[in-house]
Amino acid sequence: MAVGPRAAPDEADGPSRSMAEAETRSAGARGPDGGWGWVLVAALFVTNSLIFGVMRSMGIFFVEFVRYFEQSAQAISWISSLGLAALQFFSPLAAMLCNAYNPRVVMMVGGLLAGLGLMLASQATCLLHLYLSMGVLSGLGWGLIFTPMVSSVMASFTRHRTLAVGLGFCSIGLSSFAFNPLFQLMVELYGWRGALLILGGLNLNLVACGALVRPQQRSKEDEVDPGSGAPCAAGLQRLISYLQPQLLLERPFFTYSLAMSFINIGFFVPYFHLVAHSRQAGFSDYRAAFVMSAAGITDILGRVASGWFSDLGHFRLLHLASLWTALAGLFIILLPVSSLSGSYAALMAISLLYGFCAGALTSVVFAVVPLIVGVDRMLEALGLLQLIESGAGLLGAPLSGLLKDLTGNYMASFAVAGSFPILGTLTLATLPGFFSRADPPAPQRRSHHVKDKGLQSELEQINSLSHGAS
Amino acid sequence: MIMSASWNQLFFQTTLLLVSCRHISTKTPGPTPAPLLPIGPLTNLVKTVEVRANESHTVELLERASVELVCKWAGNENKPQNVTGYWTKDGSEIKNSSVTVQLEKEQYVLKQMFTVLNETDLGNYSCVFGNEAKAEFILAVPQIGEKRDKPIIGYANDFMVIQCKIDDTKPVPTSWKWARMNGTEKEPIVAAAESRRYKIEIEERKTKLFFHKMTKADAGLYSCGAVYAIGTAYSQVELKIITFWEPLKLFIGILVEVIILVAAILIYERSQSGKQCTKENGPNPDQRNSMTQEENNDEEGGSAVRQRKV
Repeated sequence: MAVGPRAAPDEADGPSRSMAEAETRSAGARGPDGGWGWVLVAALFVTNSLIFGVMRSMGIFFVEFVRYFEQSAQAISWISSLGLAALQFFSPLAAMLCNAYNPRVVMMVGGLLAGLGLMLASQATCLLHLYLSMGVLSGLGWGLIFTPMVSSVMASFTRHRTLAVGLGFCSIGLSSFAFNPLFQLMVELYGWRGALLILGGLNLNLVACGALVRPQQRSKEDEVDPGSGAPCAAGLQRLISYLQPQLLLERPFFTYSLAMSFINIGFFVPYFHLVAHSRQAGFSDYRAAFVMSAAGITDILGRVASGWFSDLGHFRLLHLASLWTALAGLFIILLPVSSLSGSYAALMAISLLYGFCAGALTSVVFAVVPLIVGVDRMLEALGLLQLIESGAGLLGAPLSGLLKDLTGNYMASFAVAGSFPILGTLTLATLPGFFSRADPPAPQRRSHHVKDKGLQSELEQINSLSHGAS
Repeated sequence: MIMSASWNQLFFQTTLLLVSCRHISTKTPGPTPAPLLPIGPLTNLVKTVEVRANESHTVELLERASVELVCKWAGNENKPQNVTGYWTKDGSEIKNSSVTVQLEKEQYVLKQMFTVLNETDLGNYSCVFGNEAKAEFILAVPQIGEKRDKPIIGYANDFMVIQCKIDDTKPVPTSWKWARMNGTEKEPIVAAAESRRYKIEIEERKTKLFFHKMTKADAGLYSCGAVYAIGTAYSQVELKIITFWEPLKLFIGILVEVIILVAAILIYERSQSGKQCTKENGPNPDQRNSMTQEENNDEEGGSAVRQRKV
């Protein structure tokens, strides 16, 4: 769909035929689906477990760090905050580099850096070392591999896109279950230094995941800046053009990123505060933790189920995204209400529902991006989205903590947190064409451009050959 | 002491009746004189502890005190008018502690005042009702709550800190001391003498032992003691020293696995796309040109047609 010359078998009706064929391909009706894509789904599965499963199991190391470095728990928790922030911050950089260079190499380098960061962390002698190695360096590595990997998976599917994304992301919940006892064992056997070293080795498997991405796959959707037959060295302007910052100025993407920011502000609050709230409501530590685990299970189910359901095609992906988001927001608001009655069953039920909706919305919000910005700009869009979401995520937890401190209980903080996803849904509703029954054709500006250029070179080629022949 | 099953049943039923009994106020003086004569002024800490038979109760003591222990027993099937009661300490009977207890209001009450002056006076005190019923009092210093049963792993040439902490709800010890266990012997660690190896930091409720640069010889059992006027509470922790080689072995194994995996992936791909030129790195124009070449090769029909046409 991107490369023009290929689309024109016949000289006579060259222009119109190529145009038609390019458009059908870009509409995605006969796009790629499956095959090597499923291998990439497995790679995404492993990638997510190594990145987020590790991040979620950091708690075990934190206990050791607090004891060894004699720092407060808050100072230690900055390590994983830095890691996540670095991942999201460097995502646009990943998009730029993948456009400028071979994406496979970028991803493999990312895996290498992530492993290196953890390996260096095992040698840390002060907290700053941990911030820089486990936080910044590993975060950079993760950022270089995460967004391109998601983008590659989405590019490899059309009909089964949401299911593929859902499957790829369900590893997060599963791995945090598995990693908690595993890390505990590693720390007991080797201390935290040895455990971090081994974890660094495990993260090196990200290099293998990156190696699975075939450059041919990526180039179908993404092409080099077509402006000029520029030389190898990429100037600053060209680099910036790889980032596609003009995406931000387009109304659909701008609206979508605003909606995502709102969603992210409220989304993580239950993960931070649910256990504390349950305890405050009078349930024992064990029961409170169990609520969290149960929500985690429905989260996994939600991702896969929503992916499968969305691909059935009964509803527009955008509508489903709005539905899950609104429901998630609603359940967040209901969470403290359910525990007010003192009923454990009610709290458990709402938490399960919340978990399901939260997982369901994760699959869909990724898969909806190519429908808004087009498959060829998906990578850059994802990168920018990650960057924007990082700011929003940072805002959510402190805000709810502040509200809790001010009011003394979690009612207000959950209510406010839940209203943000609902606000996000309303923002989504302002997207152009939201209320139409079918998806509008995805923007194809870039391929349009290339198609014309490709057409031009094709005509040139034909002319020159005919000249040569005659 | 052997308790019969029937006594258990009866005890359970009567305990329910006795639940309404109230505590004896601490102001009530003990009826029997203490077995030991007090030496010098004793702290005015008079604790009265009351338990039902077959219960165990821990009494925390910090300093010298007079403690009154009260035992109540509901009796068995046939309730004799008198029952002999006596006290034991750590299993052996205390001399001159045997008294005859009268049945009052359907129960037998055995009281004794004990003075606790030093560490030897602490221990397990039990009241026994004529070989039939027993209750236990554990007189001890406040115990260190945080017990670390898994060994701490330290690395050779690394620095390490072991910490002992007493709960915020428990009283502050007067001081702390560290010792190294050599078999059953305790070798005290004095930081000042070997300041290059150890450093001890004491902070009211917690204490830390720093190792500046550990060696294999530092491995072993360490014990921290919270010192109170009346005695010391201990907590033990095991320190294991390993070199970096241990985790490194596993790490190298994983590294080898990753290399093999990556190589396998690349080789597999190379064998799959034999006819295409493979390019791993390359600036963009080259990439695009070779890209189109690949596409042409893929679509045999297309390229053949083009050639024929042109």
